[in-house]
Amino acid sequence: MINFEKVNKYFGDFHVLKDINLTINKGEVVVVIGPSGSGKSTLLRCINRLETISNGMLTVNNLSVADKKTDINKLRTEIGMVFQHFHLYPHKTVLENITLAPMKVLGQSEEEAKQIARKYLDKVGISEKADSYPAQLSGGQQQRVAIARGLAMNPEIMLFDEPTSALDPEMIGEVLDVMKALALEGMTMVVVTHEMGFAKEVADRIVFMDQGQILEEAIPAEFYENPKEERAQLFLSRILNH
Amino acid sequence: MDFSILTNNIDMFLEGLKNTIIASLIALICSLVLGILIAIFRIAPFKPINWLGTAYVEFIRNIPLLVIAFFIFLVFRIPGLAAGTMALTIYTAAFIAEAIRAGIQSVPKGQMEAARSSGLTYPQAMWNIILPQAIKIVIPPLGNQFINLVKNSSIIAVIAGGELMYQGDLISARTFVVFDTYIFVAMFYLVLTIPLSLGVGQLEKRLAKNN
Ligand SMILES: Nc1ncnc2c1ncn2[C@@H]1O[C@H](COP(=O)(O)OP(=O)(O)O)[C@@H](O)[C@H]1O
Ligand SMILES: [Mg+2]
Repeated sequence: MINFEKVNKYFGDFHVLKDINLTINKGEVVVVIGPSGSGKSTLLRCINRLETISNGMLTVNNLSVADKKTDINKLRTEIGMVFQHFHLYPHKTVLENITLAPMKVLGQSEEEAKQIARKYLDKVGISEKADSYPAQLSGGQQQRVAIARGLAMNPEIMLFDEPTSALDPEMIGEVLDVMKALALEGMTMVVVTHEMGFAKEVADRIVFMDQGQILEEAIPAEFYENPKEERAQLFLSRILNH
Repeated sequence: MDFSILTNNIDMFLEGLKNTIIASLIALICSLVLGILIAIFRIAPFKPINWLGTAYVEFIRNIPLLVIAFFIFLVFRIPGLAAGTMALTIYTAAFIAEAIRAGIQSVPKGQMEAARSSGLTYPQAMWNIILPQAIKIVIPPLGNQFINLVKNSSIIAVIAGGELMYQGDLISARTFVVFDTYIFVAMFYLVLTIPLSLGVGQLEKRLAKNN
């Protein structure tokens, strides 16, 4: 479903993604971990072309993401994205945040979009906040709205970039629970996160990145119990001991 | 103070007031439209267009308004009021473009990314997400530009534009009551600028409340 083939990316002279080969199949949950600055966000952002790759081949649903002929706006409707800092629209209510793209991009009527939005708000457990503004919500609630906003487009893929890193500890669980439920329903997910519990419970695969390279790919049990790469071992010992 | 200056020349003062209002109003609307256009040029995701926008702003901002007014008056050979209004428009648009650009760019980058990643086109994201947030940031500097515009319209006097300052010049030259004449001129400007200033303040308060 998502396929990286010898993908490289440079920021100017800086080689941020190095020869990335990665295949993510339909219904898979892949967790990406690695030290800060290793290129995890960039990898994720290439998938919906928030960043453009420098060379190599990146396809989503067999469409080349970099190809000028690919209708990127259409492709993006298939890919939901959840950011570390939520990026809800502060001037719109929760409901308006969710209905905007379905109405503008998918051409849903307001009635239809609202109905779908309420369904997903219910699903992430905050239907009572439909008419609030983002600033009136806690971080955990905002992130759940952001997830509902992504889901309302009915995407095939959901990308999560450290969705719980900006949250107070007591709110991490509520967001992870929503994500776990989503994973169990068979959503294709690429998740940058250091939440080991989540990874062990629902990830099909762990991808370990360092300095722009994928150093190790393994199933969670194998990776956490017995990482092969020295740098992965070092990294794990550091996140476990802090 | 000699109020007979006011009462004896009230027709000229009112004619000046009328012309100042006309010039300001037209320049205000046109400079807003032109300013928005240039701001879009400056931030558009296309380099040559950025360059055009930047060139306009840097060029116009760094020439005195007076010189622009003379230039238009001499080159186009149109009446002073029209030439002055055009100069005001061209000049003010550069400042308005800057205010709008700064406002747009102060909206966090993540807003555009969130909007684009949900499939919205760049114009859709601009219109629905970025501009409504930028407006709140832009209103105060825009208000200042409009007040400056009214005051700057006084330079039209040098190309015989017939607005307030010009009428003041005529009256003082004829009556030799220089000081009092310009006191009344100043009062007429205040009649225009103080309500404008208060209006902008009110608008700012309203927008702040909506947050
Ligand atoms: N737009 C950019 N321009 C230049 N360098 C960037 C840009 N975005 C990220 N980088 C750099 O690329 C590297 C990888 O960034 P990122 O993908 O955000 O890493 P991670 O998410 O793993 O922390 C970092 O060194 C970062 O400073
Ligand atoms: Mg990151």
